[in-house]
Amino acid sequence: MTNIQESTMRDADQKTGGNIARNLWMMLSGVGIIMLLGVITGFLSQHNAQGGGALDLAGVAVLGAIAAAILILAFVIWKLFQQGKQSGEKVPRREKVYNRFLVGSFLFGGTTGLALALTGSFDAPETSLMSNAAMSPVLAIILSIAIGVILPAITLYWHRHAVDEQEETAYRLGALIAIYAFWFIAPVWWFLWRGGILPEVNGVTLYFITMFVALVVWFWKKYR
Amino acid sequence: MKNQLKVLRAMRNWSQADLGEHLDVSRQAVNAIETGKYDPSLPLAFKISRLFELPIEEIFDDEHTGEHDA
Repeated sequence: MTNIQESTMRDADQKTGGNIARNLWMMLSGVGIIMLLGVITGFLSQHNAQGGGALDLAGVAVLGAIAAAILILAFVIWKLFQQGKQSGEKVPRREKVYNRFLVGSFLFGGTTGLALALTGSFDAPETSLMSNAAMSPVLAIILSIAIGVILPAITLYWHRHAVDEQEETAYRLGALIAIYAFWFIAPVWWFLWRGGILPEVNGVTLYFITMFVALVVWFWKKYR
Repeated sequence: MKNQLKVLRAMRNWSQADLGEHLDVSRQAVNAIETGKYDPSLPLAFKISRLFELPIEEIFDDEHTGEHDA
């Protein structure tokens, strides 16, 4: 059809691998920040449990080191974001909205998680994610509405306004493989529990496994 | 599926993001189509066909040889 060589392609198009790595590092850095915030809250919770008061020099040093690591990761995110802007890549309007929504969700989730951790809610059996302890009917109803009504509505909107069909396909494949993961992992775990090899099946763990599988497949299909 | 998208794009000196803008898809989608990792839907294939003013079969190659046709 034509004798145009690939060498005539514009530079931005040759950086696909770099873009994938950049997005991945930004995500990992974000997760790293959340985990480090968790370490800080855990450290402070333990300190308070041991009587509280002023931190000794070692405690200050530990907190300072963690805070420095958080700042470094934040700097990495900012630097990678700047690199992305300077690569000359145009971002369609829908993708901008999508990215803002992602960042907003990330900040909201991180802030909520941090607030729960700081108030010691993760340690309380009533609100602990992995606990089967009884909770108040009001809290049960609030959480049920959040997960059973609000989240599905957001998810429906999210999927109907996907960036494009490739994104939709990535979501669909992620969901399909996630449900297969659930179908296969749940009975295997159950059998192994009955055989005395594994602890009792935990629904919340299965829930997070399926979410993780869906997320990994979506990322792989969208950015590979 | 093999295709001529990268070449057609280069003829217009468009980046993947430029083409994505014309097709209202992300740069990732353009890249996935170009590298054969994602086959576009029929509506998107028609859109590409209209954009480059070429029949779909001149842009996409399903490697069908016709050997088993009746």
